[in-house]
Amino acid sequence: MAKFIMITYYLLTAFIATLFFWNFWQEKKKIDRQILYLLVLIPLLLRLLRIK
Amino acid sequence: MRTKIILLICLVFILIWPAIQLYQHRHFQIPIVAGPGVTRVTKLSHYLPALKGTMADTWIFWLEGQESGGKALILGNSHANEPEGMLAALVVIENGLVERGTLLVIPQFNHSASRATRPGDGYPLYFNIDTKWGKKKFRMGNREASPLDQWPDPDVYLHYPDKQLLSFLDARNVNRTWPGRPKGLLMEQVTYAAMELIRQEKVDLVIDIHGAETMFPVTNCIVAPEKSAKLATMVSLTVKATEKFDNHVEPSPPKFRGLSHREIGDYSDAMPFLLEAPIPFLDQPTGPKTEKFLLDGKDPFLLRLSRKNKLFVPYDETGWPIDKRVGQHLSVTLEILRQYSRRTPERSIIIHNVPRYAEVVEKGVGYYFQDPSQVRRDRIYLN
Amino acid sequence: MIAKIAVVLISMVVAYLVGQWRRFSVELSLFLAAFLGAGCGAIFSTPPWQEILRHLVEGSFTYLDVILVFSTATIFMAVLRESGGIDYVVQATMNSLGKIRPLALFILMVIVLIPGALTGAGSVSLLVVGAPVAAALHHLGLSRPRIAAILFILAGLSAAAPPVNIWAMILCAGTAIPYVGFELPLGLPVIFLGTLTIFSLGWRPEKIAEAKENWEKMDIPKGMSWWRIALPFMVLFGLILAYRLWPFNLPVLGLPLQFFLGSITAWLTSPKKLNFFLISRETMVRILPLVSTMVVIGMLQQVMTATGVRGLISYAVISIPLVLLFISLAVIIPISEGVLTYGAAAILGIPLIWYLDSLGYHATVAISGLSLLWPLGDGLPPTALIGRLSVMVSNYEGSYWSFLRKTWFPWIIITLAGILMVIFSAKLSFLVRWSTG
Ligand SMILES: [Zn+2]
Repeated sequence: MAKFIMITYYLLTAFIATLFFWNFWQEKKKIDRQILYLLVLIPLLLRLLRIK
Repeated sequence: MRTKIILLICLVFILIWPAIQLYQHRHFQIPIVAGPGVTRVTKLSHYLPALKGTMADTWIFWLEGQESGGKALILGNSHANEPEGMLAALVVIENGLVERGTLLVIPQFNHSASRATRPGDGYPLYFNIDTKWGKKKFRMGNREASPLDQWPDPDVYLHYPDKQLLSFLDARNVNRTWPGRPKGLLMEQVTYAAMELIRQEKVDLVIDIHGAETMFPVTNCIVAPEKSAKLATMVSLTVKATEKFDNHVEPSPPKFRGLSHREIGDYSDAMPFLLEAPIPFLDQPTGPKTEKFLLDGKDPFLLRLSRKNKLFVPYDETGWPIDKRVGQHLSVTLEILRQYSRRTPERSIIIHNVPRYAEVVEKGVGYYFQDPSQVRRDRIYLN
Repeated sequence: MIAKIAVVLISMVVAYLVGQWRRFSVELSLFLAAFLGAGCGAIFSTPPWQEILRHLVEGSFTYLDVILVFSTATIFMAVLRESGGIDYVVQATMNSLGKIRPLALFILMVIVLIPGALTGAGSVSLLVVGAPVAAALHHLGLSRPRIAAILFILAGLSAAAPPVNIWAMILCAGTAIPYVGFELPLGLPVIFLGTLTIFSLGWRPEKIAEAKENWEKMDIPKGMSWWRIALPFMVLFGLILAYRLWPFNLPVLGLPLQFFLGSITAWLTSPKKLNFFLISRETMVRILPLVSTMVVIGMLQQVMTATGVRGLISYAVISIPLVLLFISLAVIIPISEGVLTYGAAAILGIPLIWYLDSLGYHATVAISGLSLLWPLGDGLPPTALIGRLSVMVSNYEGSYWSFLRKTWFPWIIITLAGILMVIFSAKLSFLVRWSTG
C-alpha cells in the first residue's frame, strides 16, 4: 500500500510538472516568468528522476 | 520561441552536473573491512523480511567470543549527519576481538539517511579521514531518511503506540520511530526489526551513538532511562576519574516518546544508552559548513559565545576534533561493557583491542582503518 | 573569517538590490542574491566552486512538499469555485446567519481557524475556506483590503493554534523539549486574539447597500445542492481526521494526495461539466509567484548556511542584551519569517529558546509566545506568503501596503501578547500543567 501511494506521488508530481512546463511554453512575453517556471521545475524534475 | 529553447538548454546545463553529483552521492559505497574479530555478517532484514531489497536494509556485524556470555548492540548513524557514531562503530568492527559474549554492530543504522543530503543546510557531500595509507572517504548523510525511500510525510506524525504528536519530519527520523511496527512506515519497520533483533537475540545492552550541538543542553552526556541510570552513573564517574573527560548522565524523559533510550528499555529487557558528544558543525550560529569544520569543530562564533557562557560544553581554540569525539564514544562504550560485565558476570562481554580516548586522540581515528585494497575481497562489505 | 562572511552577506544584499533596480520580480532578485552569494562565497571556497550549482539545486528541495500542498490545495479550491459551490455556500450562510452579525463573525472566525489548526499551515486555511469566507465578509459590508487583513491575521493565528503548530514543532525538535502541553498556552491566546481581530476589524460595516444587492444577484448553477459542496470537504477533512483517529490502521496519504482526492470529488460532484486540466493549469499561473518563492528561498537558505551568513545572523541575534532582545523580538521575529519562512524558527528560534531556557524562562510558554509572532512575518516581503494569499483569495486588487496597514491594531496586540508571554513565561507555566493534566 505504501508503495502504491508513493507511485501516486510520482504521478502527482509529474502532473504538476506538466502544468508548469505547459505554462512555461504558453508564456509569450515575460521572460521573467519563464525563468521562474523553469526554477520551479528543478526540484520536480529531479524528484521524478529519483535523483534527490 | 527561440528564447524558450535557449532557456531550456540553460536548465539542462544547470541541472546536469548537480544531478550527477547527487546521484553519485546516493550510490557511493563505503568499503567496510570486517576485522579479525568479525565472525559473521548478516542483514537487518533477517528480522523483518519486508526490509529486504529496500534502501533501509543494512549490515549487522557479529563479533562473537569463544565463550558465551552477554550480548551488546552498538548503533551508529541513527542520525547520519552525526558521523562520530558510525566512525566509532567502524573502529570496533575493524579492530575488536571478543573473548566472551557477543558484540553486534550496525554502523549505518539509518542507511537511507546516510544516502541522503540535507536540503537547506549546505553540508558538504563527503568527508575524508586521514589514514596511514591515504584518505578514507565517507558520505555525509542527513538526520532523516531520504524521501526517495519514504514518501510522503504525514501532515503530522503520530508516534506508535502512544499517539504523541511529533513534527512530520520525525516520521523519517529513526530516533523518533522506536519501538516501531512491522507494517508501519519504512523507518518504523527499521526500528521494529531492531527491536526484534534485541528481543530474539536476548541483547543485554544497546548503545546508540550520536553527536549533539554545543548549544544543546543534552550534549556531552549519556542519556539513560531509570533501568540503566545506575550503570551510566558508574561509567560517567569512572571515565572522569581515570580518563579525565566529562560525560554526565541525563535521565531519559518518560514523556518524550520514540527515542531509543526510552522505548528500547520499555519494550525489551535490554538496557539502552544514548551517547552524545558535542558536534559544533550542527550548531546554528557558526561559520561556513565546511568539511574541515565538520572534522575539527573549530568556529569563531562558538568561541565568542563560549566566552559569554552560552554553550553547554567547555570550548576553546582547539574546537572539538573528531578524534576526541570518537575517542570519548569508544571509552564510554568500553566502560559500559566493563561495568556491566562486573555486575553480571554470567552475562559478561569481554572485548580487546579497541582503543580508548587518549589513544584515539593521540593517533587519530584514521589510524584504526585498514586499507581496503590490501584486504581479502570477502572481508569487505560495501555500505 | 567573520569579515569574509560579511563580504558574502553584502554581495547578497547588493545582488538583491540590483535585481530590484532592474525591475526584476522579488523571486528573481532573491535568486540572483542566492546565486551571487554562492559565487562570492566560492572565492573563499565556502562553498567550493564545483559545489555552487549543487547547493542551489539541493536548496530548491527544501520546501518541495510545501509546494505540492500549495499546488493541490489551490486546484481543490479552484475546482470548487468553478463549480459554483462557493457562491452557493455564501448565499446559504448569509440567508441564515446574516442578520445576527456578532454570531456570523464568530462562526466565520472559527471556520478559518480550523483547517490551519489541524494542519499547522495558515495557507491551507486560506486555500480551503478563504474564498467563501471572504465572500461572506464582503456581504457583511466589509471592503476588500479589510477582508484581506482579517483573513491574514486569522490564517496566522490558525497556523499557531493547537494541535499542530509547525514553529513549535521545529523548536521542540531542535531543543529536545517534548511537543506536549501546548493546548492551553497556544489555544487560549489564539481564541482571544482571533475574536478581538474579527470584531475590531469587522464590527462596523462599510458599504451595506451595494453588497446586499450583489449577493442576491449571484448566479448559482442549476442543480447545485448541499451535498455537492459538502462531499469534497467531507472527503478532505474525513481523510485528515481519519489518520488522526486511526493512525495505525490507515496508510499515510499526506496532504497533497488528500487535497487531490478532494478536488477529484469536487470535479465529479460539480453540476456543470468542468475541464479539470484547464482549471489546474490556470491555477498554476496564479500561484507561480508563491511557488517560485518557496523554491528560491530554499536555495537562499542553503547558500546562506554554506557561506556562514546564516550563522552570522543567528549569532548577532543571540548576542543582543536581554532587555533589548525582548523589545527587538517585535521586529526580528516577523522580519526573519518574512525572509526565511520556517527556516527562521530554526536559525533564530532554537538558539533563542536555549538561551532563554538557561536563564530560567519556561520553554513551552516562551515557544508559544514566539509562535504568535512568527505568523505576522508571513505578511512581510520578500516572501509575504500568507499576506499574498490573503490578498489573492479576497480578490483585492489595490496596493499590498494599503492592505497591510489595515492590520495594525491586531498586529500590535498580538505582538504585545507574544512578547509578554515570553517575559512572564515562568508565571504562566500553570497553563502547561493544566494542558497535560
Ligand atoms: Zn542524534
